[in-house]
Amino acid sequence: MTDLAIEVRGLRKEYPDIKAVDGIDFEVRPGQIFSLLGPNGAGKTTTVEILEGLRDPTAGSAKVFGKDVTKEYRHIRERGGALPQDFEPFDRLTPTEAVGYWSALFDRKIAEEEVAKNIETVGLTSRANTQGIHLSGGEKRRLGIAMALVGNPDLVFLDEPTTGLDPGARRELWGLIRSLQTAGKTVLLTTHYLDEAEQLADDVAIMNKGRIVARGSPEELITRYGHGTTIVLAGAGQAGYDALQARGIAATVENGNVLVHVDDPSLVRWTLAKVASIEMPLKEIYTRRSTLEDVFLRLIGSRMKEGVLAE
Amino acid sequence: MKRILADAKAFGKQYLRSRTGTFFALAFPVILILLFGAIFSGTGSASLAIYVQDLDNTPASHTFISALNSTQILVYNPIPADVNITGFIRDNSINTALLIPRGFGDNVSRAMLLHDQNASVTVTLYGDPTQSSFGIASSAVEGAITGYNFFVRQAAPVVHMTTGQVSERGAKYIDLFLPGIIGFTILTTPLFGMTGICAEYRTRKYFKFLATTKLSKAEWLAAKIVFYVLLMFVSVALILTAGVLVFHMDGTITPVAVLLIIAGTVEFTSLGMLLGIFIRDSETAAAIANAIGFPMMFLAGSFFPLDLFPSYLKTVAHFLPLTYLNEGLRSTMVLGNDSVALVDLAVTTGIAVVFFIIPARTLSWKSK
Repeated sequence: MTDLAIEVRGLRKEYPDIKAVDGIDFEVRPGQIFSLLGPNGAGKTTTVEILEGLRDPTAGSAKVFGKDVTKEYRHIRERGGALPQDFEPFDRLTPTEAVGYWSALFDRKIAEEEVAKNIETVGLTSRANTQGIHLSGGEKRRLGIAMALVGNPDLVFLDEPTTGLDPGARRELWGLIRSLQTAGKTVLLTTHYLDEAEQLADDVAIMNKGRIVARGSPEELITRYGHGTTIVLAGAGQAGYDALQARGIAATVENGNVLVHVDDPSLVRWTLAKVASIEMPLKEIYTRRSTLEDVFLRLIGSRMKEGVLAE
Repeated sequence: MKRILADAKAFGKQYLRSRTGTFFALAFPVILILLFGAIFSGTGSASLAIYVQDLDNTPASHTFISALNSTQILVYNPIPADVNITGFIRDNSINTALLIPRGFGDNVSRAMLLHDQNASVTVTLYGDPTQSSFGIASSAVEGAITGYNFFVRQAAPVVHMTTGQVSERGAKYIDLFLPGIIGFTILTTPLFGMTGICAEYRTRKYFKFLATTKLSKAEWLAAKIVFYVLLMFVSVALILTAGVLVFHMDGTITPVAVLLIIAGTVEFTSLGMLLGIFIRDSETAAAIANAIGFPMMFLAGSFFPLDLFPSYLKTVAHFLPLTYLNEGLRSTMVLGNDSVALVDLAVTTGIAVVFFIIPARTLSWKSK
């Protein structure tokens, strides 16, 4: 089983008032980007911290590269790097100093050129001599990833690396995370951004209340739990909804738009032609493929915004 | 060792780049010594109670007691003539007491009236030479004797003083502040610094981040100690320079003082981390550091000799780790009594070892 990067079986973490992790199983193959996706409090960070050796599980087993996380976490530190949730770098150290310092804590004698290369990897060369306190949110996370990479780890834990960043910074970090995979590293990514998991992950485990409620690649999950294709009648409103109802076509209204869900891909063209022929006030008409957001809504029963489930 | 030095270097850079940290570590103690120097090197000074057993009880001995009172440092308190003076000292927790022997008046009269060159009398200053006030009393009594001799026989010595264990150096009152300020700095800078650092490392999750490296808790604490020891030496150098240059304070950095500075820094850096076990945020850190640090700096005699305290506060002081650092520094730097300072060094080192071991073993970087 040592060909797996991570293997989790029946993992539980219980506190007197809550089951933070409630018997989860998953495995991650080397070179994968695996995402734990879920709202705040789902148990993602607890799971990651157990894998990093920072928490002890109540029950079950967790192995990283075949090593038990509770008994052999020192070996895991040799092969794993971590970016903690809400990472903030040391205020008064520059990226060059921080990376050099961090490498010394891994007993790695790192040359100036290697520090510069590490910083270049995360795109911080122009800010290499700027104190941490003056870096932007995205730059701070990049520095955190640079520090996580100083031990040249095979596995990188990224705990909500883009939380709180603006869309531009998030997309820049996505590129960096993809480059880690290209470099042959395994990435365990926790996130509450559905689009992030959909864009980056080879394999996704959707967590809620300590349990994994669905597991698979984004495509598999969308196929299995999505609505197929949605025809969007933008601005059609209640009048459009009534017109469709009168023709026996099932629809829903959302934010003034009328949505018609088509599960069977072969019926999309026929349904679109039929809907388009009905007279109603509308701004535009287009089709939209299901996303992980639809999957999440269907599985959890509510939408998620910034990690918080809507009532 | 490389990890410790790397952590100490990184920590030191951050610390010294913070203007607030640098101010409180280096500039604030200098300001304090200038402030106290200005207050106590002038006319204003605190008084010290001196107990006197006058076995002679003659006009001459009464005049001598008046001379003691006129120093404006010593305040006379009588000891009954029919008690044993050493027993009285012990029973009443008195630090300094002076014995005027029988025949005092006769010898003074012979010197004054008969110009007897052989007339001589010795008063004895009793007390605990480990207490800083003993040095003050000794200097003050010597001064009074000099003045009295001048009055009696134009400075030719008639009255002498013996102490047995008194310091070789005379100490001015202001001199006592030098080690006090050093002790204060060794208490506050590492203690307040470490409690704040523990809060910051916890809230910013640096402990968790560090837990993913090979650095151990003991190494992390050792790195902080290395930095604070270096910082304290710089701070002590600045304090000494300011005190000596501006107020001509008398203080010598002896080998025992160096060891006390190191042991004290280990002690209070470790205490800061020990308190850090209970600290969850910066507000708690400030509250805990203030609650521990402020009473200790006053009760341990940083600014006032313990002998000026009521006896119950003296008892409290002996339970405070800073007391031994202050008294040890005073003994070796001002009073020149290394044998006493070594006892304080041993106590300080013992406490430092305990304070180091507890957090190094119990502080958890892991989450529950």
